[in-house]
Amino acid sequence: MLILKNIHKFYGTNEVLKGVSLEVKQGELVTFVGPSGCGKTTLLRLIGGFTDISSGDIILDGQRINDLPPNLRDTRICFQNYALFPHMTVAENVGYGLKINKWPKHKIAARVHELLDMVELQAFGDRMIDKLSGGQQQRVAFARALSLEPKVLLLDEPLSNLDANLRLVMREEIRKLQERLHITTVFVTHDQFEAMAISDRLVVMKDGLIEQVGSPIEIYERPANEFIAAFVGYVNFMDGRIESIDPVTRNTAVSTPYGTFEITLEQDDIRTGDDVLMVIRPESVSLSIDCKQGGKNILCGSLKTYMYAGSLAKCTVMIGEKKMIIDQYNPRDAQHFKLADKVEVEIPRSVHLLKKK
Amino acid sequence: MATAELSLKLQSSSGSRVKDFLNANMVNILAAFLFLLLAFFLLYPIFAVLIKSFRGPSGFTLEFYQNFFSKNYYYQSLLNTLLLGVINTVVCLVIGFCLAYMTTRGPWILRKPLKIISLVPLIAPPYLFALSLIILFGRNGIITRALDLHWELYGFGGVVISQTLAFIPLAYMMIESTLMSLNPNLEESAYDMGASEATILRTITIPLLAPGLLKAALLIFVMTIAEFGNAAILGGRTPFLAPDTYTMITGESDFNMGSVLSVVLIAPCILIFFIHNYLLEGKKFTTIGGKPVASEPRKITPLIKIPFVIITTAAAGAIFICFAVVVAASFYKILGVTDRFVLSNYLDFTSNQAIYNSIRVSFVAAVIGAVIGVLLSYVIVRGKFFGRSFIEMVSLSGFALPGTVLGIGYLLAFSAPPFRLTGGIMILALNCVFRFLAVGVEAGISKLHQIHIEIEEASADLGASFMTTFFRIVLPIMFPAFIAGFIYTFMTAIVSLSAVVFLVSPGFQLAAVKIFDAAVYGEIGIASATTIKLILIVMLCMAALNFISKKTKIGSSMSQKGVS
Repeated sequence: MLILKNIHKFYGTNEVLKGVSLEVKQGELVTFVGPSGCGKTTLLRLIGGFTDISSGDIILDGQRINDLPPNLRDTRICFQNYALFPHMTVAENVGYGLKINKWPKHKIAARVHELLDMVELQAFGDRMIDKLSGGQQQRVAFARALSLEPKVLLLDEPLSNLDANLRLVMREEIRKLQERLHITTVFVTHDQFEAMAISDRLVVMKDGLIEQVGSPIEIYERPANEFIAAFVGYVNFMDGRIESIDPVTRNTAVSTPYGTFEITLEQDDIRTGDDVLMVIRPESVSLSIDCKQGGKNILCGSLKTYMYAGSLAKCTVMIGEKKMIIDQYNPRDAQHFKLADKVEVEIPRSVHLLKKK
Repeated sequence: MATAELSLKLQSSSGSRVKDFLNANMVNILAAFLFLLLAFFLLYPIFAVLIKSFRGPSGFTLEFYQNFFSKNYYYQSLLNTLLLGVINTVVCLVIGFCLAYMTTRGPWILRKPLKIISLVPLIAPPYLFALSLIILFGRNGIITRALDLHWELYGFGGVVISQTLAFIPLAYMMIESTLMSLNPNLEESAYDMGASEATILRTITIPLLAPGLLKAALLIFVMTIAEFGNAAILGGRTPFLAPDTYTMITGESDFNMGSVLSVVLIAPCILIFFIHNYLLEGKKFTTIGGKPVASEPRKITPLIKIPFVIITTAAAGAIFICFAVVVAASFYKILGVTDRFVLSNYLDFTSNQAIYNSIRVSFVAAVIGAVIGVLLSYVIVRGKFFGRSFIEMVSLSGFALPGTVLGIGYLLAFSAPPFRLTGGIMILALNCVFRFLAVGVEAGISKLHQIHIEIEEASADLGASFMTTFFRIVLPIMFPAFIAGFIYTFMTAIVSLSAVVFLVSPGFQLAAVKIFDAAVYGEIGIASATTIKLILIVMLCMAALNFISKKTKIGSSMSQKGVS
């Protein structure tokens, strides 16, 4: 288990990590995600030992490893640019750590063979690095990092140099291998969708602080604040006030400038009379042509744009002065919507609420 | 409307074929003209040296070469020169590597000061170190007298030390730039895999640096064996090729032997120039994309840190002391002998006259050099004619040529009719132009690579002729390169010694030659003061260059914005 305790990091007077605490369980894949400059890469380098920690503790399986240099830590890193040694072959790259750690030759050969098998590069052992494609290089880097069976694997934006399709393939492969080997992994990315797809838990960071830790579903469906809600996908915010809460069914009435909505409240910390922000995801709203008025949670609006893109259509709807972005999946009626003017917007009961401070 | 214009255009084009021909072939015409200049002012003098080495009073002969290889003295001179080159290269590489390693991987507090001191010798002429060694260790040197030593500075040892100090910045700069381009993640990966500092150096850093180190070594070797000043001032009775050439010409007026010595000196230089430019081209380990971050300081093990710190601080200290004593010596008649503060060294008339002459020569050289440099770079980058790479090679070769060779070449080529140029400012200026052409051309090439050819095509597409495009589009964009070429040429020309020492006439002294003469005749005060004046001029130039490069960064980003 990897434990980070109240970690601070200063570069000169610039504080890039302002007290970060986290526990990563054995075999878990945790992703640091956040906008650039949030401190996620610094945190990863601190765990790897490449950067000195200013204060706080890093504890790996009960041992405090703050002062251990990278070569004595049981963590292995995969850099964004792979950092494969260009003057060595694939096999020499994968076997480098074994050689450094004085493994006997035949054992190195066997282990390298096994690792190359694992990443499906059996035939490439004798190739030089620059004769490999980006995806293959990624696999070599991965195999090299795993060669010494580290306790923690650190992945620094490992997919950002691959093209879009390959990214999807590689992230699946990495996840499969990680689960099979049951290796504790810390993943860094600025791509929130990648983060959600690959992780057991997400750590959303901003300005050197952790904003929220949770499973992808928790982060997406129940973000802790406006920043997180907007960071993990598009969101329509709507101001409102709690009119009533039914203590048994948790049915809650929220009044807004556009009408009163009925939702099912999930949080405990919201009381009647609170000012709230409704977090309405574009795909959670259903859209239909014409507006008959009436019915619960239904709003009338005018359809401003309708961009058909195959699997979904991106729509902009004006509710009075308020602009809403709506994603309509499986848009079978595109022909009709294209010509539509008035539309009906249904706000789901599952809308998440943020309490205003 | 459009068709009307088109037909109008077609009419006019059929009307003036000459103009169209010029338009289409302007680059080629320009190239031909520039090639003639290169052939006349660079190839012809070298050729003249080659001819002279084979032609005696009765036609073709190998007598002079036989003479060279049979006489122990000449043979020794060659050996000394090569040995000097090897020792110097090795020592400079080791010190340069330690310096570069500390300034890119070492603790933050050491990086800046070490870097500054390592680069300081760049602002000084290389023979400054000969001067400081005389001040410190000469027969009347401060340390010699203080410790009552009886040693001989003049000889092989003195030359090696002064040359080493002089070429540290070159070694440092080249190694530092390769170290900087080395993705720090590579070393970190090795570190991560369990390698110690020494293992990282042995298995990752040095193997990856090898092509860069080899390139640096070749360049330092060539520059060292060709360098004239230090060997001439401190060589004493030990023969070296470059100064021997000088005594052969000025002392004995033996142009044949002088030419043979030049050819012997030029042979390794040309060989290495080819290895450097063609065999090693592209021999570089490319690392895969991504943005490498600046290397964070590692906990360097004492095993490596201690020797590195000792070597780097010793080198930096030596450089600093050498500068300090020259500054001090410039304010005394003879430092350590007559300890009275004087300004007479700075007011010396002949010195100031020489400085004035140097400025004039360098200015003329810089103007011509910058113009030719810009035009040449344009032709090299945009031209599509046969022999383009030959022109590039010739225009960049001036640097690899020992100055003494081009000095003799100009004497042989331009001292007699039909091309008599000696005795004036022009022969000195032209010599500098073609020796230092490479910097201007390279500045131009790098600037041109930043400009998309689409800009010129857009101009042509809008109906502009070649000349209009060139003057209205290309030249304005190239202006920073022109200025950079101008200042570089000026800076290098004003401190250069090895070629002009052959070409100055008795009534027209140059500052570099003045320093050389003064150092040889023991007028240390005047030599020091003149050196300081040159350093101040070079510093001004550097400041100007710095200012311009900052300005042009804005300029280039603006032009890029203009495109998109």
